[in-house]
Parts: sequence; structure tokens; C-alpha cells
Amino acid sequence: MKTSASITRRLMLAVLLMQCVAALVLIATVANHERHVQFTVFKTNLRASANTLFGALQEADARDGSIVLDLNGLPQPSKAVYSAIEADGRVLGAQGEAPRLSTASGTFTDAYIGNEHYIFYVLTGERAIDPGKPFAVYHHIRITYGLPMGRVWHEILEAIRFFALATLLLLGLTAIFLTWLIRRFLFPIRELATEADRIDSDSWVFDAPPSSKHFIELRPLASAMEKSVLRLQSSFEQQRRFTSDAAHELKTDLAIVKSSLQVLNMRRRSVEEYEQGLLLGLDDIGRLETTVQKMLTLARLEQAPRNYNQSCNFAEAVLEAIAQSQPFAELKQVQVEERITKENLFVVASKDDALLLCSNVLMNALQHSSAKESVEISLTCENGVVSLAVRDHGAGVEPEDLPFVFGAFYRSDASRSRRTGGTGLGLSICKAICERAGGSISIANHADGGAIVEMKLPIIAPDHAGS
Amino acid sequence: MRVLVVEDELRLATNIVAGLREAGFAVDHAIDGIEGLAYAEQGLFDVILLDLMLPRRDGKSVLQAIRNKGVHSPVLILTAQEGKTSVIDLLNLGADDYLAKPFDLGELIARVKALIRRSKGTSSPLLRVVDLSIDTVRQTVTRGKKSIDLSPTEYRILEYLAHRPRAVVSKKELLEHLYDYDWEHHSNVIEAHISNLRRKLTLPGAEPIIETLRHRGYRLYAEGEL
Repeated sequence: MKTSASITRRLMLAVLLMQCVAALVLIATVANHERHVQFTVFKTNLRASANTLFGALQEADARDGSIVLDLNGLPQPSKAVYSAIEADGRVLGAQGEAPRLSTASGTFTDAYIGNEHYIFYVLTGERAIDPGKPFAVYHHIRITYGLPMGRVWHEILEAIRFFALATLLLLGLTAIFLTWLIRRFLFPIRELATEADRIDSDSWVFDAPPSSKHFIELRPLASAMEKSVLRLQSSFEQQRRFTSDAAHELKTDLAIVKSSLQVLNMRRRSVEEYEQGLLLGLDDIGRLETTVQKMLTLARLEQAPRNYNQSCNFAEAVLEAIAQSQPFAELKQVQVEERITKENLFVVASKDDALLLCSNVLMNALQHSSAKESVEISLTCENGVVSLAVRDHGAGVEPEDLPFVFGAFYRSDASRSRRTGGTGLGLSICKAICERAGGSISIANHADGGAIVEMKLPIIAPDHAGS
Repeated sequence: MRVLVVEDELRLATNIVAGLREAGFAVDHAIDGIEGLAYAEQGLFDVILLDLMLPRRDGKSVLQAIRNKGVHSPVLILTAQEGKTSVIDLLNLGADDYLAKPFDLGELIARVKALIRRSKGTSSPLLRVVDLSIDTVRQTVTRGKKSIDLSPTEYRILEYLAHRPRAVVSKKELLEHLYDYDWEHHSNVIEAHISNLRRKLTLPGAEPIIETLRHRGYRLYAEGEL
């Protein structure tokens, strides 16, 4: 079973538990102290009672020098057990069955009467009648005074009970106060959650409520949420734009294929017309195929695993791309001028991808060149970074288009017209290949006219190379 | 009827133009927004097919400009863009219909015909003038119970006149609406077509159904109603 934990409950439990422990320690200390105090009081009381008894020994009315215990006006507790005995064994006064104790004067002794625990105090003294006179009589008196211990324990337990009740009350009050306090403190979090709940794919808006910015503990959370929502929004937008652009491309290509066949089918035609129509239709399908293929390539590159470890000799790929583009260059009457270093430069890219990168950039340059112009391609290596620069002498890129040319489906015309050729995915694919190789690609207009595309890829040691 | 196709995707435009011509329309093609607007401003078109994503000037602003200039030709929007809101926007800006790519060419032609019918004030695909009935879908003509076989151009002339019976239609207007950009070259043949049409439609012994008004033009004469 899945249980949900609550910070409030845990916090309260922790605080209450700590309070409980503190209360128990306090009660134990108090009980110990109380016991000590109560015992001291009890013993003092016993001694005082014994002394009172001693003081209550009066000369008897008989005037024969004998003494009696006169407790008139000195009522003793009913539980008290005492005896006042003269040395000759005469009992002057007693209450209860006091044991005959032979202990020294001034000592305390435990004893049981019935089942009750008593403590007895023994006091011996001399009572003189008419002291200093010749007929003075001296009485040796032994007073044994006992009180039940139960009373002391009762007092101690009373004290403990008082403290326990007070603690309970305190715990209850603390719980209520804590609940209120925590609710209050958690309110900004709830506000934050409410605000966060309003985010969805249609409205990427997150304004951290002021309460969450007020508390320094929540500030990092609020600002992190704001930032991640912004990041999500931009990546979602990008994704959405890509999907919409891809849909647009595919739909347009489909519309062409479909309408070509429908025109052909509008009426009966001659064999030549059908043949021509089929060839055109095949052409249209070929374009659709190219678009789909490039989209898939881009998707493959962008979803590549992180620990991609294929590698190839980049210089070879460049030379092969130049060789492959030769017929097109000749067709366009464009001279390809190359300055290629002869080193082995291994980069993190499969041979196919490296070739695709080089030929995309090169073909792009050729396409933007006119007859008799030249395309310059140079490959250099410096500080472990291989740098491939391809420059044409065409019209260059409109400055306002520069930031976007690597975006998917971006063509330097809002119409996405394909008259100039290409799907608008070529440079996106190049960017994806460069980034996967840990490098970068950039485009700029040369001061003397024409565009220059530069790729920088880190090289890896040949012994790491190999697929 | 004359249709303007504003579409930058050349292969698609070629197919649309071919399909519409096969269906008997005179078709002009503009490759971008500015060219499209220049064509549309002439006010000669019975329907304008407008792509949204156009170079130089996008379809939406072309549509606005067309309506601001008081051109009332029905506009059918062609687009591969997603989203219902844009449809609402476009209709509110004065578009008459909307077709998403990839569309069916047959549907496109049917919609163009429907737009023409509605803009001429009829809703039935069957045009009737007295005992003459013209099926604009099958492009057949019958008078009384007799089916009349017409050439495509003759049919187009008759359909155009039948949309406005009893109104005088000038030769220039006929030329402008029945032929593409090079209509002036057809100036001489139209008279021959009219006379053929008149001959085919006239019942033996009756008054000709198409009148020629000197220096003014032609009129589909609704006998018995005048």
C-alpha cells in the first residue's frame, strides 16, 4: 500500500516527541528533587513531633515528682504511632503499637506496622522536675515517634501528577500552535503549486507569487521554476515550430503528388501524356522522399545516444565530398579551390555523417555560386581543433537571416519556396552533426562578398579512433 | 469563368492551373504576393485561389489589400498551415472559403464552381433561362427536351451570359472573363463563337436567343418575358 507522508505531521511528531522526552526528563528530575525535599521535611517533621512530645511531658498533678504526657492542645495525627517510655518501663503515653527500638537517640529506623511502612525517630532525654532544687527528680525518657511513609510517597506522586498534567496541556497547546504555524508557513508553497498548476502546453506562463519570493528558502525554488518554464517554453516552441514546418513541407509535397495524379486522371489521355505524367509524378514523389529522408536523418542525429563513439578521418571525408561534387561544380562552371592539410584528423562522427556534412556545405556553396565564380575550401588543424572553412562568392546571407539559417526548414524567404532547391534541412543536419562531434558551425558574410561557413571540430587521438 | 491562382510552389500551381483549365476555366497564375495583388486588382476574376505562405507578400496581407481595394471576387484560401484560429481570422478578413493541403483537385474545382454560383446570386448548379437549362457540373445544355452539343468555348460563353440573363455583356467583359492574360488575341474569334452558339441554340423558325447589340455587346434574350 502506498502511503503519503506529510511534512506537517512529521514535523509535529518530531517536535512533540522532543517535548515529551524533555518533559519526562523534567518529571524525573522534579520527582527526584521532590522526593529529597519531602524526605527532609518528613524527617524534620518526625524530629519536631518527637520534640513536641518531649516538651509535652509535664509534672503530674500528684506533685510527687512523677510526670505525665499532656497532649492537651497538641493533637497528633491519627496515623502517628508513638510511645513515651520512662527508663523503668513505665509508659507515659502512647498511640498505636510503637515497636521497642534499642537504637541510639536521634536515629531514624524503618519498621512495618501491619503492612504500612513507617519511619520511627527515637529521642532520649532527661526531664527534670524542679531542677536545681534539692528535691529535684530526674526522669529518663525515651520517645519513639513514627509516621507512615505512605504520605511522603503520596506527596511525591501528587507533584509528578501535576507536572505530567501540565506537560500534557503544554503538548496540546504546542500541537495546535504548530499546526497553525506550519499551515501559515506552507501557504507560499501552496500558492506556488497553484501557480505551477496553471502551466500547460498552451500557456507557458509562470509568475512566481510574491509570497514565494518573500521567503529566502523558497526563492531558489521559485526562480528555478521560472527559469525551467522559460526553457521548456522555448524548447516546446521549437518543437512545435518544427512539427508545424515539417507538416507544412510534407503536406505541400503530398499536395503536389496528389494533384499531379488527379490532373492526369481528369480525362482520358494519350499514352505519351500518361508517360509524361507518370515521370512528373515520380519526380514529385522523389522530392517527398528526399524531404522525409532528411527529416529522418535529422531526427536520428538529434536523438543520438550521449556516448557516441564512432570516428573517422575528417580529411578523407572532405576530399571525398570534393570529388563527389565535381560533376555539379563543372555543370555550374564553378572552380573549387582547395587547401587541404594532409594530416590524419580523426573526429567523432561516422564516415557517412562526416561526408554528409562536407558535401552539404560544399553543395550549398556551389548552389549559391554563379558561373565563373569560385568556391574556396580549406582544412586546417590548430590546437587539437580541425577547422573546415567553405567560402563562396555569391550574394551572401541577408544579415537578418544570419541567426536563423541553421534552424530547421529555414529558407531565406518566408514563403519556403523551393524553387532555389533544398528542403531547408541541410544546414540543420550539418549543425546536428557538428554538435554531436563536440564542435560548432557558424556562417558569416565575407567582407569581400559571399558567405563563409566555418566548422570547428575537436580531433581525437588516432588510437581512440576506430569504430 | 476566369480564375486567378496565387501559389508559389511551381509544381503545385502547374497542376492546379491544368486541372482548372481542364474543367473549362480561364486561369491566370501569379507566383508571389505582389504579382498576385497586381492581378487581383484588375477585378477581372470570378474566383481567386490564394496560398497563404507567399514570397514578398504573404497571402493574408494580399487578402486584406484585395478587400481594401474593393475587389469583390470570391477568395478561396489554400494552405498547409494548421490551426482553426487562422481559418476564423481569414474568413473574417474577407475570405470566402478555405481548403487545406493536400486537397482533392475535384473538391477544389467543385468549390470554385460553388463560389462562382453564389457570387452570381444562384445556388443551384442548374441554370435555367426560360426553356434553356445549363448543367454547370456536367457542362451540358438542353433546350426544351433537346440536348445541345457545344464546344468548350461556346459553353463557357453561354454559361457566363446565363448567369446574367437579360443583361448586356460587352465583348471586352466576355473576353476578360473567358480567357487568360492573352485574351486580346482572342478578340476576333469571339464573334465566330457567338454566331456558332446562336445557331446551335436557335429553334427552327424562332427568334435567336442571343442578341447582338451593336457597340454594346451581347445579351441572352429571354423571349416571352420581355
